[in-house]
Amino acid sequence: MAEKKVYSKLGEMLANGEFILTGELEPEKTCDLSHTIQEAKEIAPYVVAANVTDSPLGIVTINSMAASHIIQKEAGLEVIWQLTVRDVNKLGIAGMIMGGHALGLRNVLSLTGDHPALGDMPESKPVFDLDSATLIRLVKDMVDKGTINGHEIENPPTLHVGAAANPNSDPMGAEILKIGRKAEAGCEFIQTQVVYDLDRTIEFLSEIKKYNVPILLGIFPMKSYGMAKGFDTFVPGVDVPKDILAKWKSIKTEFKDDKKEQKRLYDQANYEFFKPFISELKKKGLLAGVHCMAVHYPRIFPKLMEVIKA
Amino acid sequence: MVIITTKKPVDEVLNVLKDNNARKLFLVSCGVCSALCQTGGEEGLVEWKEILENEGYDIVNGIVVDDVCDNREMAKVVRKNDADVQEADSIITLSCGLGVQSIVQVLSKKYPEKNVFVTNNTEFMGMTERIGRFYMRCQGCGDCLLNETGGICPITTCAKSLMNGPCGGMVNEKCEVGNYEKDCGWVLIYNRLKEIGRLDLFSKLRDPVDWSESGHQREVVWR
Repeated sequence: MAEKKVYSKLGEMLANGEFILTGELEPEKTCDLSHTIQEAKEIAPYVVAANVTDSPLGIVTINSMAASHIIQKEAGLEVIWQLTVRDVNKLGIAGMIMGGHALGLRNVLSLTGDHPALGDMPESKPVFDLDSATLIRLVKDMVDKGTINGHEIENPPTLHVGAAANPNSDPMGAEILKIGRKAEAGCEFIQTQVVYDLDRTIEFLSEIKKYNVPILLGIFPMKSYGMAKGFDTFVPGVDVPKDILAKWKSIKTEFKDDKKEQKRLYDQANYEFFKPFISELKKKGLLAGVHCMAVHYPRIFPKLMEVIKA
Repeated sequence: MVIITTKKPVDEVLNVLKDNNARKLFLVSCGVCSALCQTGGEEGLVEWKEILENEGYDIVNGIVVDDVCDNREMAKVVRKNDADVQEADSIITLSCGLGVQSIVQVLSKKYPEKNVFVTNNTEFMGMTERIGRFYMRCQGCGDCLLNETGGICPITTCAKSLMNGPCGGMVNEKCEVGNYEKDCGWVLIYNRLKEIGRLDLFSKLRDPVDWSESGHQREVVWR
């Protein structure tokens, strides 16, 4: 078997089988990335790389390729450029892959993207010329074969391409077969949607293990009761378990006059929930690492590192 | 199959007539699809005659035609009603967009100065469950996939027309577009292929739609 080529720190650590942590950064509707860069600097000591989102929920934010480049340059943190097929046709996307490479991006996460109808420009034309699987194949052709649609690229890009997977998906069978297509297309790593249900996650990860793609488990440590409640209410398909909500609520009410203690307890509660969860999956050999999607919660990362290193 | 139409707001139509200084009108109402959709036919004709007369327009004539979208039929209608067509400054059609363009084409040689206006919006080619319940199930993409997707069209039933669904916007078999009220097309396909024992077809990585041959003034010409 040919030795796997490595283009990024993420690619290298996955190839070496090291258990890793990745983070997530969510630029907003602004041209000033200073807050995101600050957050990137805060999580940089703990994560291998961080995702940079591409107008999630169809709400327009600064372009993810531009933001990825600036964050990588200013914060010195490797990024995983999230790229959806929602807004640009394959001609445009192929150009963006070359542009992303030229800007120094070495990891790209292929996503479908939330439909424009959900966002703040609902009248936009939904493109979806490619889908999340065929975008992976496009990237792989460009990188491995040095071609676009059979046409040679003078200096081909070098990026690792990843995919998303949703263990909460019902029917699970359809999602499993879909991951099979993404694997066939050549995806090099998978980041899952946020999970809270251990049994379901074990079942799903065991099923997709056969595709032999390293999996980073999506987790969402909750910074406050409001965050947990909001996540439970507003993120479709993700249910925060009732006992977590009850515990977070008790921290909020019992320590409302001691913010410092409240923070400490939230952090501790996250640690106590996620530590056994991750350990169990790691022990079963189902994970290559963890992808923490808790944006604006950089102080949780040192604690998460304890879990990762355990 | 029916071309499904809905009525434009009356004021929108009246504003267009006013804007174009229309005075003398010849009404052509579709007796097939638009009649079924209650946007044309005899009833629609009576309704629009009354509206337009009340607004002070001169109705030169009004007729129901079986195939407004058939150039041959429209050419006959124009010949038979030549005097009325000549007298009218505008034709109002209670039909789909095909009907409008058929009339424009037929009139273009002899009466290029005549305006043609439409009272309907064309929605889609539809499957009829019963009158008043019409559903888009095919978009006429020109490259039918139904033999491979259990007879359910992903181009139409998937809000993103994905070739490799379902996407992350599916929750409990429903689609993120439309507040999770509609079925996810790719789950319908999955369930159907499972029923017929052909999940191997579901596993297949499908190429993107080839747009090179479609979209622009498509035609089927075989003689």
